[in-house]
Amino acid sequence: MHRYRFILTRPLQFLPVIFGVSIITFVLVRLIPGDPARVLLGARATPSAIANVRAQFGLDEPIWAQYFYFLQNLLKGEMGKSITYKIDVLPLIATRIEPTLALVFSSVLLSVLIAVPMAALAARNRGRPVDHLVRILSTFGIGFPPFWVALMLILLLAIAFPVLPVSGYGSTLGDKLVHLILPSVTIALSLSTVLMRSLRAAMVEWLKSDVATAARARGMPESIVFWRHVLPNAVAPTINLLAVNIGWLIGGTVVVESVFAIPGMGQLLVRAIFARDYMVVQGVAMVFACATVLVNFLADIATVAADPRVKL
Amino acid sequence: MTDAPLQLSIRDLTVTVEEKTGARTLLDRVSLDLAKGEVLGLVGESGSGKSLFCRALVGLLPSQSLRLAQGTVLLDGEDIAKASPEALQAIRGARIGMIFQNPTSHLDPVMRIGDQIVEGVAFHQGLNRMEAKAAALEIMRQVGFTDPPRQFGNYAHEFSGGMRQRAMIAIALACNPEILIADEPTTALDVTIQAQILDLLLDLRKTRGLSIILITHDLGVVAQTCDRIAVMRHGRLIEIGEKRTILKNPREDYTRTLIASHPSMPAETAPAAALTQEPSTIKLRPLVEIDDLHVRFPVGGGLLSRRKTFSAVGGVSLQILPGETVGIVGESGSGKSTLARAMLGLTPLSDGHVTFDGHSLSLKRAETLKALRSQAAMVFQDPYNSLNPRLTIGETLSEVLRVQKKVPDAAIPARVEALLDLVELDRSFAGRKPRSLSGGQCQRAGIARALAVEPRLIVADECIAALDVTIQAQIVALLRKLVSTMDLTLVFIAHDLAVVRALCQRVVVMHHGRIVEEGPSETVFANPREAYTAALIAAIPDFDPDRPLSGRSLPLPPLKGQPA
Repeated sequence: MHRYRFILTRPLQFLPVIFGVSIITFVLVRLIPGDPARVLLGARATPSAIANVRAQFGLDEPIWAQYFYFLQNLLKGEMGKSITYKIDVLPLIATRIEPTLALVFSSVLLSVLIAVPMAALAARNRGRPVDHLVRILSTFGIGFPPFWVALMLILLLAIAFPVLPVSGYGSTLGDKLVHLILPSVTIALSLSTVLMRSLRAAMVEWLKSDVATAARARGMPESIVFWRHVLPNAVAPTINLLAVNIGWLIGGTVVVESVFAIPGMGQLLVRAIFARDYMVVQGVAMVFACATVLVNFLADIATVAADPRVKL
Repeated sequence: MTDAPLQLSIRDLTVTVEEKTGARTLLDRVSLDLAKGEVLGLVGESGSGKSLFCRALVGLLPSQSLRLAQGTVLLDGEDIAKASPEALQAIRGARIGMIFQNPTSHLDPVMRIGDQIVEGVAFHQGLNRMEAKAAALEIMRQVGFTDPPRQFGNYAHEFSGGMRQRAMIAIALACNPEILIADEPTTALDVTIQAQILDLLLDLRKTRGLSIILITHDLGVVAQTCDRIAVMRHGRLIEIGEKRTILKNPREDYTRTLIASHPSMPAETAPAAALTQEPSTIKLRPLVEIDDLHVRFPVGGGLLSRRKTFSAVGGVSLQILPGETVGIVGESGSGKSTLARAMLGLTPLSDGHVTFDGHSLSLKRAETLKALRSQAAMVFQDPYNSLNPRLTIGETLSEVLRVQKKVPDAAIPARVEALLDLVELDRSFAGRKPRSLSGGQCQRAGIARALAVEPRLIVADECIAALDVTIQAQIVALLRKLVSTMDLTLVFIAHDLAVVRALCQRVVVMHHGRIVEEGPSETVFANPREAYTAALIAAIPDFDPDRPLSGRSLPLPPLKGQPA
């Protein structure tokens, strides 16, 4: 169908975006004060040892030459060697992708599972006590900072009532899922409230719309009016909001992964920044950027699927 | 009156609204009967309560603060006014169906048309998916879809306005009702499409034995379709009776006003042609000269695909003399609005020339635009959306005056008052915002804003289309007064031919981006040369019930866009 033709052409537009991101991250990383070689070798390293390491990683070359090598490597599918881990950056990142991906996916899934029924409940009982209750709860969700929520959840469910692990990431599937519960709940508490508010507003609008009136006028019960006509129309604007938030979330896993000691990309990024491990920081930033672009692309596809009027 | 059994009998229906100051009555003891197979026309201006009345019948009051205070609604002898919500829900659709004025907003935009019809069939007739689809295709054929199996999968936005209204009717029929309430079903449509939809409704009454309540503000529509007429005003039913009796011998003054302001009535005042002396205008240089104008818009296309264009105006040549009143008519999509915008330099020209007072828009764009902005003005269709809601009328007018610098700053307040006087608005309106004005008052403010430019040319684009008939008549009278007293050139764009005939000296008929006919109004309307013009004229619902409207001779409108 030609409505979906943009799926073939749109990825071409990603190339300049990725290129721009590569320049920005490359330059920004080098603006961080400090020298990777000095961080690596410690305070008592001799100048010649430092010069040696700098030469080994190409850090003594001018910045444009370094960028040129970086691009050259990128085209070969490489991102250079980590200064601290002494291995290639790409395989290093690859081992860290799964926990982050699992965390983002489970948080988003949980958020949607919370947001849709809550929004429906509030919108269909607009102005009644249950609506106010949902809105007050959502204000709390937005108001409390995630790191605080995380710590409170750990205190409550891992220490006072030790039903869930304090932190870490398991090795078996079941173990991993158990470890993901607290971090996902932490993220979902704030993300779902954002989605909930947007969805509820759209649902209230569509419940009052001519489409809903027309459905009622042909004798449709309120449940059909809501689930078949109101909900499909109300989700469209929320898709983009969700995409923006997932983009933000991918970067935001840094905090949650640190608090819960999950060996994901966020944690890797924090350590790499402290170690001035340029190659790793660059690599992770590139992966984050690509992921964000990809999420927005998927959101475009979802928007077109949800609303036949949209043409991209 | 018919002697068929009564189907619906309404007595003393009263609806009130709860306000802080107490209950206010919106519908005041309305009583009427509807016989089986009858078409009842319910007329009145917006705000007269006619839509509210119909919603109250089926328990769909638009707000929770509204209350059905008293009255009975007997449907086949059974009172449904006090029925439970569940009982009412079973009546809605299945026994009393509704179609609405604006099919675009009432059709579900994200659900296929076919599925919306299937929904009603499946729910009310308990058919399974396959049977329901077959029934839906049959209904689509009945209401005039040309290719139901293919159109089943289309969405509302892919259809033209007329086809959307057909879809709306199909969805109502899917529930197999006995009574159909049609709330201004043709108001948003072109005359030719209106004629087809009215035809369809009458046809359905015949084949299905439907009883119809037709809500409209157009007496021409009523005269052509209804058996009886009920007139509503301020929430009261002021007059009801047989169609011919009401149209010939209205009892109420208000009904008389309604009839008098119907545009198909021969204008009592002198015809527009008499306003200026013909001989003197001939020697004048044209104020606007359009030569082989083309306006094309890009449609689709992108990074890789070749750009396609849609030709909105294709090769139009037209001269407008100073002091002339020219009407441009045509169906929606005929390019009349684009032509108007091109005339004012509001849309890029693809080809050809537009010359305003000797300045060519294509050769000396900046200079011509400067002349246009200080000597020409536009009045828009929707007065609410074209006035800044945050500014008072006075602020809007003085903004124009300040920018134009034709009046010294100190004289601006006086000029604002003079402008309000000119459009017959009270001076106190200077301090009010558009939201607090009625449609007619708002359009007067829009005209005042155009006059603030002190223009030689005013382009009015469908400026009365959104107004009630009585208000339309007032605005037309105002325009006529302004043209005759102020040395104005008026380009009046409308799809309502009767109004154009009453107002304009010359008429230009557009179809598919071209001028198909042009000439003095009297000549064109009396002896149209082109078949298209004749069809347009024939489709106007005539006020005389014995001169039937003819919409059948026109082909059905094709599906918009999208070759399959």
